Amino acid sequence: MVAEKALTVYDAFLRSEKGPKITENVWDNNVIPVTAVELKEKYEIDFGNKFIPTDPDLKERLFRAGIEMLVTVGILNVDTGRAIMVTEEEIRAGIRAAPKRIQLGENKDAVILEPRRSASRKKPIIQGGPTGATVSEDIFVPMIQSYAQEPIVDTIVSGVMSTVDGIPAATNTPFEVKATLAEIRAVREACSRVGRPYLSI
Amino acid sequence: MISGWLHNGNVIMVEQMPIFGGYIGGVEETAICDIATTLASFTLLNASYHLDGPIHIRWGITTSRETLQIAGHVAATLDSYTDLLLANQYYPIAGPCTEMCLLEIAAQAMLDTVSGRELVSGCASAKGVSEDYTTGMEARMLGEVAMASAGMDPEDVNDILNRLVKKYERQYLTAPQGRTFQECYNVRKIVPTKEYLKVYESSTEILTELGLDMSSISD
Repeated sequence: MVAEKALTVYDAFLRSEKGPKITENVWDNNVIPVTAVELKEKYEIDFGNKFIPTDPDLKERLFRAGIEMLVTVGILNVDTGRAIMVTEEEIRAGIRAAPKRIQLGENKDAVILEPRRSASRKKPIIQGGPTGATVSEDIFVPMIQSYAQEPIVDTIVSGVMSTVDGIPAATNTPFEVKATLAEIRAVREACSRVGRPYLSI
Repeated sequence: MISGWLHNGNVIMVEQMPIFGGYIGGVEETAICDIATTLASFTLLNASYHLDGPIHIRWGITTSRETLQIAGHVAATLDSYTDLLLANQYYPIAGPCTEMCLLEIAAQAMLDTVSGRELVSGCASAKGVSEDYTTGMEARMLGEVAMASAGMDPEDVNDILNRLVKKYERQYLTAPQGRTFQECYNVRKIVPTKEYLKVYESSTEILTELGLDMSSISD
């Protein structure tokens, strides 16, 4: 038996041109909620009052339900109005093909993103930053510096610079691009100021 | 976009935040869809890693009891059956320089760490919707709690989380906005104020009383 080859984004795009037609309204109000509740009942999934499951059987049923959800409904491409369908074998091929080790950052500031188990004594990678929240232009560098200077922070997630040269970075204007480039320069500057110029951003 | 990034050999993070309480329904249904869409990120979009963020439709936060349940079950399940690289992001309702904000962050940091996430990203304090209401002190809490809880028994964490979430979940309507970065730090020296350090200390004391050992970190 030959192992299924993982799909590419090109395969996904081509399928989104030929998959079953469906409107966003039907998808949101019928397909998703009806299928999700059917699978919840089929696999008898009930979290009770737990935050983290400790029953291996529940985890197995939840995993099977998640795969069946994707195989049953696919993913809607709202631009083409068609669902992209996949098989369980293609999902498992995608899992196998996914990276298992990624370097984030460079030189002495690099960290390795790799699988850790729930019982691991190793902490996850800490990505510090405003996480997309809006930040004033005049304090952008100091604010990012407040994250980069924390020794426990491994990588940086940026915020949104509210203005660039005092002008709002409105969507679909050139100032959007200008502000994005200004943000990147400012994050790099903040990292350099604390001696961590190669932090992943 | 993804096509270009792939050919450049870039790291591709696919972000997706399932909404609890909307079209999908309850916690279990949302978790089923969260697993499906996480798998789709790797199957259809060639993700290098996935950034989750189950969010509450009423409160706009990731730190509610229900969204924590979803994130914890999804991560622990995928952790059991795959080697996929999984991340989660932080949207507490309270703002900087408040115990509530730090306790919300601590709850999610414990959950993400012990359910097997590989990366945690935060924090968009005050729901990430107010300008300048984010600071490095929240990331300090995120990192230190992650370090303190790594290796803990999930049953013990479930017990602590149940008591911890109860401390803040009835205050969503009156959640404190907190203070801006400029009010929390000396902006020239980039040093947190004494007030914020005191709030941080009192928050760690609460966490210690609940059973999280943070002594090795603060030493």
